[in-house]
Amino acid sequence: MSVLKDIGAIAKGMSITFGEMFQPTVVENYPDGPGPFKGAKFQERFRGLHVLQRDENGLEKCVACFLCAAACPSNCIYIEAAENTEEHRISGAERYAKVYNIDYNRCIFCGYCVEACPTDAITHGHGFELAAFNASNLVYRKEQLLMPTPAPQLQR
Amino acid sequence: MVENTQLVSLTVDGKKISAPAGTLLIDACKASGIEIPSFCYYPGLSLQAACRMCVVRIDKMPKLQTACTVPVAEGMVVTSESDEVRQARKATIEILLGNHPLDCPVCDAGGECELQDMTFTYGAAESRFMEAKAHKEEQQWSPVVFFDRPRCILCYRCVRVCGEVMDVWALGVQNRGVNSVIAPNMGDHLECEECGQCIDICPVGALTSGAYRYKTRPWEMNHVGTVCTHCGDGCKTTLGVRRADNGMEIVRGDNRDKSGINGDFLCIKGRYAFDFQQHPDRLKQPLVRKDGKLKPATWDEAFDTIAKRFNAIREQHGGAGFGVIGSTRTTNEENYLLQKFARSVLGTNNIDHHRTADYPAFAAALAGKPEMAASLRDFEKTPAILLIGNDPTHQHPMLATAIRNNVRLHGAKLFIVNHEGLKLRRQSKAYAHIPKDGYGKFIAFLGGDDAVASALANGHTNREQLMAMREMLRGEHQLVIVFGAEVRGKDLETLVKLGMSHTGVKFACLGDYANSRGAADMGLYPDLLPGFTPLADAGDFAAEYGASLPKSAGMDLEKMVDAAKAGKLPAMFVVGANPMARYNVQLGELKNCFLVVQDMFLTETAAMADVVLPAANAYEKSGTMTNTYGDLQIVRPAGDFAGAKPDLELIVRIADRMGVAPQSLVPFGRGTRADMGQSRGAQSGEADRHAIWMVAQGIEPKVSPFDPQALLDEIQRLVPGYGFSRLNLFAGNDVPTHTAGKGKGAHQDPELIWPANDTLFTSGTLGRYSNTLNSVVEAHEGKRYPTQVETD
Ligand code: SF4
Ligand code: SF4
Ligand code: SF4
Ligand code: SF4
Ligand code: SF4
Ligand code: FES
Repeated sequence: MSVLKDIGAIAKGMSITFGEMFQPTVVENYPDGPGPFKGAKFQERFRGLHVLQRDENGLEKCVACFLCAAACPSNCIYIEAAENTEEHRISGAERYAKVYNIDYNRCIFCGYCVEACPTDAITHGHGFELAAFNASNLVYRKEQLLMPTPAPQLQR
Repeated sequence: MVENTQLVSLTVDGKKISAPAGTLLIDACKASGIEIPSFCYYPGLSLQAACRMCVVRIDKMPKLQTACTVPVAEGMVVTSESDEVRQARKATIEILLGNHPLDCPVCDAGGECELQDMTFTYGAAESRFMEAKAHKEEQQWSPVVFFDRPRCILCYRCVRVCGEVMDVWALGVQNRGVNSVIAPNMGDHLECEECGQCIDICPVGALTSGAYRYKTRPWEMNHVGTVCTHCGDGCKTTLGVRRADNGMEIVRGDNRDKSGINGDFLCIKGRYAFDFQQHPDRLKQPLVRKDGKLKPATWDEAFDTIAKRFNAIREQHGGAGFGVIGSTRTTNEENYLLQKFARSVLGTNNIDHHRTADYPAFAAALAGKPEMAASLRDFEKTPAILLIGNDPTHQHPMLATAIRNNVRLHGAKLFIVNHEGLKLRRQSKAYAHIPKDGYGKFIAFLGGDDAVASALANGHTNREQLMAMREMLRGEHQLVIVFGAEVRGKDLETLVKLGMSHTGVKFACLGDYANSRGAADMGLYPDLLPGFTPLADAGDFAAEYGASLPKSAGMDLEKMVDAAKAGKLPAMFVVGANPMARYNVQLGELKNCFLVVQDMFLTETAAMADVVLPAANAYEKSGTMTNTYGDLQIVRPAGDFAGAKPDLELIVRIADRMGVAPQSLVPFGRGTRADMGQSRGAQSGEADRHAIWMVAQGIEPKVSPFDPQALLDEIQRLVPGYGFSRLNLFAGNDVPTHTAGKGKGAHQDPELIWPANDTLFTSGTLGRYSNTLNSVVEAHEGKRYPTQVETD
């Protein structure tokens, strides 16, 4: 009897195998797919290249509090702060980050900086193609990390 | 504060402790390692009991008590931490936070805020208030003082420090109860000494400074303990530095750790006037005169030009062909090296500096009794002080503060003799307002010559008052006599001799710049070797320097400038000084004089030079400095400016190009070779730690020809009075030196002394390039103090 049982079990397993064989492929179409990620799909929570956010007025959210840099276990965030003036306003508060670098040679994508940020300025985006031939290209500057454009109607 | 030495014992949290009777409970606990939180209590200030953070349970007392106002008592039983106490403190915090903005991410105090710490400890982070917080815009009260009202927790520390310590009383409290606000004396702005003490003492980020605000965060800076480079008091300061494109930029100065002679005090200059360090006009590369114009050149070219000309002039004219002028702001090592270079390499005694006090006469008068020189520390506790001349409030702000604190906390008696009304007069027991030329007569009067009394008496002070003052002074058995540049030459000698006949008298001689005393001690005189050693007594120096030292006295500063104008001085070497501005020499007036200048800026003198070498300032190098009281302190590199080199290195390099073996100038290479870490820039603290460790192990660095420690070695060995404790010095403490002449010093021309007369807001050439100081002067425009030509 056990022989029949085994055959049944194998048949059941194989039916799944054969059934799946004729399904359309579910492997991501990376890198030939559409969109900025070339077809790669992510879970929402995936921690990739950082994005520095802007507020609803298009101003940078980062106020250069250095908490992300302090929280970072691999010490890869470098910030230089400067004061906003009436004529030259970058962030919503008194201070903004004049320089904001993340060194992706060292970043371990732990998300501590995101956790630390009191203004939700630094976030993990889904960017992941970070390979480079030259290590110094892995130091990303603020311009590369910042959310692309302020909301058009509010652009100054 | 408490002189009574009778001990009382009490129990705190079950632990038996004892403290002198009269000690406040909060201090007694702290001394025994039990920390009681506090906002409004500050040691040395009057008691306020405004914040209720320090509450503790004391047995047999009905309610919680404030530990900051209760003195210890025998048998007291105290509970400093219990649920009840924690609850009370938590409630206090909750109420403080009721209207407090959530500014921590941008607030300057963030990371070193006492309110943050307390909230963390007692955890009242969740607010139960629903009402909107009252918001007020930030106010600017002066170029350096900003006030963010919602952040203020009304501890009144600022009000008290300004009034009690500074005696300025520029801050006050407006309104009552919940409406109380801190307000400046002029309604919407401050008119004050701009010392920044209020900002420094503020436990939160309510008062912020124009120099530092929003620049960085406390934990992002490197902190370097060094010495202020402005006046002659030598305050210890901790400089906060951060990276800049061209090295390290200084962004903050304070002395929160209360190390050093000044406690937490710094005046505006020490606290904010470090910005000359990054001034855009700073020289970034050597300049060499070509076709009548100063043009940028390479270091090689500059050193070659200097060495060729110096060698040629030495061949042709010998030592008499050179004039050397040193600085009052460079380190002892550099001054020592400069005179060694002048005497043993150039072969000349034509060496001098801008003199601001008659130190040689002082040293000569103290001969045999060097211990009678007072340290700045002596002013903390001495029961009586006689101040003759000078205005410490402007010229020696730390001395003025030490005197005020002593009068306030220890009841010292202050006697003032001056030809002007001083602010310190408010603290004085007796005050003699004498004619401007009356100092000599006053000293004679002190010595018992009643005949001059009528000449001294004038509309301000009459004969009887003078007599009474003298009587009181004679009754003082522990007296520190401190005098300014008004007392010089013969008068100085008479005064010191007079004081010597009493026991318990000490003296201090006030000179103006950060290392004026060092320049004098290190022998930047045409007729004195280091330690005020007469030329005829060269002994050790002659043996050490090898070369035959020039025997006869050289030209002083004035004669050198005259000779250069007359075309009789073929070469002049000026290190960190601006003599041409002082003697008002115009461009083109120097004839046939090859002028080499080392400076930070293109000063009047540098503009006339044939070669200008960009020099580092005292915040960018290591070495030692001696304040005007003879207290020796270590100077450490904090800032860094690409392109500039320390004067020590520049002098050694010039000598090297001239064909002199650097070892003959700097005795390096006799120590152990070891990994010393970086000596510049971000990791500079590393080198200090190594140095301290190595000294503690009995081995010393001294491996490079530019190492000041090698020279310090020689100074300690050769200069009389500089036999100090090295370990103490390297640990960052001030150590007293005791220079005293050997009887009759060479007689100095008192006319050569030119006091800087700096005010609180000027500081010679450095002040000229400090935007902070200039903006304060502008803000006080109309009330401007007399300004002077910068000559240092
Ligand atoms: S990204 Fe956030 S945590 Fe980092 S400095 Fe900016 S505000 Fe602070
Ligand atoms: S004062 Fe302290 S608690 Fe208040 S915002 Fe500043 S850092 Fe935060
Ligand atoms: S800066 Fe100094 S003098 Fe001015 S208000 Fe503050 S404590 Fe007073
Ligand atoms: S400004 Fe600062 S020091 Fe002054 S009362 Fe307010 S919190 Fe205290
Ligand atoms: S008192 Fe003198 S040494 Fe002290 S901080 Fe002011 S200028 Fe510097
Ligand atoms: S510290 Fe005692 S009441 Fe403020």
